[in-house]
Amino acid sequence: MPLRSLRQKVLPGFGLSLGCALVYLSLLILLPLSGLAFKASQLSLSEFWAIASGERALASYRVTFGASLLAALINAFFGLIVAWILVRYSFPGKRLIDSLVDLPFALPTAVAGITLATLYAGNGWIGRHLEPLGVKVAFSPLGIVVALTFIGLPFVVRTLQPVIEDIEPEIEEAAASLGASRLQTFLRVLLPALLPALLTGFTLAFSRSIGEYGSVIFIAGNMPLISEITPLLIISKLEQYDVVGATALAMVMLIISFVMLLAVNALQWWAANRHQAHAASAGERR
Amino acid sequence: MTKPTMGRANAEPRWVRMLLLSLGLGFLFLFLALPLLAVFVEALAAGWAAYADALNDPEARSAIGLTLCIALFVLPGNLLFGIASAWAIAKFDFRGKSLLITLIDLPFAVSPVVVGLVFLLIFGAQGLFGPWLAAHDIKVVFALPGMIVVTMFITCPFVARELIPLMQAQGKEEEEAALSLGSTAWQMFFRVTVPNIKWGLLYGVILANARAMGEFGAVSVVSGHIRGETNTLPLHVEILYNEYNAVGAFAAASVLALLALLTLLAKAIVEWRMRRETRMLAVALPPERQR
Amino acid sequence: MSIEIRSIGKRFGSFVALENVNLHVPTGELVALLGPSGCGKTTLLRIIAGMESADCGQVLFAGEEATHLHARDRKVGFVFQHYALFRHMSVFENVAFGLRVKPRKLRPGEPEIRRRVAELLQLVQLDWLADRYPSQLSGGQRQRIALARALAVEPRVLLLDEPFGALDTKVRKELRRWLRRLHDELHISSVFVTHDQEEALEVADRVVVMNRGRIEQIGTPDEVYSSPASPFVYQFLGNVNVFHSRVHGAWAEVGRVHTGAAADAEAMAFVRPHDIEIERHPVAGSLQADVQEVHAIGPRVRVELAHASELIEVELTRERAAALALVRGQQVWLKPRQVRVFATPTTTLEEGGSGI
Repeated sequence: MPLRSLRQKVLPGFGLSLGCALVYLSLLILLPLSGLAFKASQLSLSEFWAIASGERALASYRVTFGASLLAALINAFFGLIVAWILVRYSFPGKRLIDSLVDLPFALPTAVAGITLATLYAGNGWIGRHLEPLGVKVAFSPLGIVVALTFIGLPFVVRTLQPVIEDIEPEIEEAAASLGASRLQTFLRVLLPALLPALLTGFTLAFSRSIGEYGSVIFIAGNMPLISEITPLLIISKLEQYDVVGATALAMVMLIISFVMLLAVNALQWWAANRHQAHAASAGERR
Repeated sequence: MTKPTMGRANAEPRWVRMLLLSLGLGFLFLFLALPLLAVFVEALAAGWAAYADALNDPEARSAIGLTLCIALFVLPGNLLFGIASAWAIAKFDFRGKSLLITLIDLPFAVSPVVVGLVFLLIFGAQGLFGPWLAAHDIKVVFALPGMIVVTMFITCPFVARELIPLMQAQGKEEEEAALSLGSTAWQMFFRVTVPNIKWGLLYGVILANARAMGEFGAVSVVSGHIRGETNTLPLHVEILYNEYNAVGAFAAASVLALLALLTLLAKAIVEWRMRRETRMLAVALPPERQR
Repeated sequence: MSIEIRSIGKRFGSFVALENVNLHVPTGELVALLGPSGCGKTTLLRIIAGMESADCGQVLFAGEEATHLHARDRKVGFVFQHYALFRHMSVFENVAFGLRVKPRKLRPGEPEIRRRVAELLQLVQLDWLADRYPSQLSGGQRQRIALARALAVEPRVLLLDEPFGALDTKVRKELRRWLRRLHDELHISSVFVTHDQEEALEVADRVVVMNRGRIEQIGTPDEVYSSPASPFVYQFLGNVNVFHSRVHGAWAEVGRVHTGAAADAEAMAFVRPHDIEIERHPVAGSLQADVQEVHAIGPRVRVELAHASELIEVELTRERAAALALVRGQQVWLKPRQVRVFATPTTTLEEGGSGI
């Protein structure tokens, strides 16, 4: 990596700090990940493809992506509402509820998993009321959605909150003084302003959900082809000493992670730079 | 001078407000409050005595000890990496900076299971260094070192992610002033930089700690599930749950849930302190405009 | 359309923003609300626009009760200090916004919208910027787009909050002349808020001077400048020398006759720097002073003089200054041409004077 400093350095420690950071990152992250890529590259392309597109693998992608997408959509919808009421409305216990939003970040996934499984099981607090209606949540794909909704909950809320706080009240007043109804103001003025953050939060929740393991396995039932997520498939391949199969699937997951990371970066870049093009050329001409 | 109030032109109709409040709070109740409550109710389902017994179990005690031990090893490395990378990124311009920031985010994006597998492939019996490690009788995988390394991987971004925006916002004028007043590099660092970032630093460490103690997927892959030896608290929860020992599982889970609540509390306090300090700064500046 | 404000009061907690404010803006007039920051002028403007509700009192548009009308139903054009343009919309879409959100029955067709927006952009002389986004415009351009956007809905009243406050001096001067011309073309009743007295005096038909939530004086720019109704107005509009009757007995007497203030009451005399004549020799009723500083500022010469421990400021033409040939330390005599005397208020005066 070219590391020439572009400016004259006044502050000390550039070499030391950057050196430390790079060594740490390389040893801990880059080398191990390239180890995975190296191991996967020992497979021929057709072998790789055969494993990555096996019936069980394909089904696990469907389950993982379907549930993640659904959970991220639920989070986008409710996250917007939660972020809105936390910023704009006042109600008793708001501070407490605001800090509680981070619970899925702080609560170990295994704890979330067993708790949600217990809540939504046929005799659980919630499952008890859903079972008679014919809705089976625990030990079904729906349970995966529930677990992933829990895991992804903070992402949308936390990316939206600062953006809603930053909306100047004048913007909405301007819309009102121009005759817009509250709904028109929301749809035409506020939503477009919130869209990049909403998409970023959605993508973050989605990408976290794809890799999630701990909270899902307890509630999913883990039936191959029906409610088996890809990370679990990797584990079961490992347990059958099928290291090659696990490696191939892990490589698929890793590539998807990279794509999601790029997507988040691209979204943030877009949010920061849209409508900025040619800004330099627009002087005070008349 | 009064605070800007939300004018009446910006208020939703009352029924909309009520609807949004009940939807949002209902959602949070269903997905946050209820599970949290359930952990403790289930843990105490068989009474306090059974709860105490479950936690006093030697395996539970060893799991707690191992979990603390891992956090103790992981956090210092995290702290140093966080400060070093944030210093380089926030105070200097260099090519490849945004690539570096993206790399720091990478552990957030990779599935924990994949992380565990990666280290298995490197240090495992059939792994790249497997034969060499076996020849020298060093156990990494299915032992403490492997669990520490995967946890370091998983928690690596936390401190850096907190510090980078904070230090970028603070700029480098104060450090430059300290240097121009004749302080050495380390004096500048400990007397100017550290006091400025202490809350962000603490915040990052708290988050990293919560994740380090709670990590499940990655640790599960490299632990080998040796009871009483490589069982962390989250793994202990899994084993008990799969043995249909609900009270035991939830008792262990309640310890982790308490840890999560403490994390949230600490985070709230740190955020409150940070806000107070920025507000004190804001008061010193003249109000931009009257309202 | 005329605007009528009746006994409006507004508090924010314990802070009294407005107290018993009465104001009439006749149709087609351009009125300035002038005052120091925190005097309540913006609050009053926001109450007129319906963005803030008053605690008591009434707002009437064209004689009709409008106090409880929602902002969107008032047909008021509001221009914000920081423009409040919709940053994700192009200039064209910003201006078209008010037309697009009209109820379906009243909404003009797309060709009509295009025509109207083009017309407005021509009016603000920025038709070539239609496809740009707000972030690509300069401050002055943004302000004119904000004005075009407000005018698009054909408001009955135009309200502007510190319209030039965020601009640099040169652009500000150009824009306020332009606003004056635009108002002369459109003749919409307009109210604008400013803390800049020069701006108020230059642009407005009438100036409303406000202080601490109250109206101090309403009058034409000439009236408020040359016959201020209160010490506050005197000090806020332009530089002024203040003399206390106790200290400067002779001078205070000059004006006492005019105001008819009680002979024994303590009084303050206000004299503008350009209303003082400097003489090289004593004259009847003159005050002796020493020259401290002489600054030539553009076409004027400002002289600072000391009388006992007090500083007096005098402004002369260049010619007069040349004729006097003043030097530092020189002893001269001052004679006022116009003095205004007020009884000394029991409370101390707010600092209000800002330099011209």
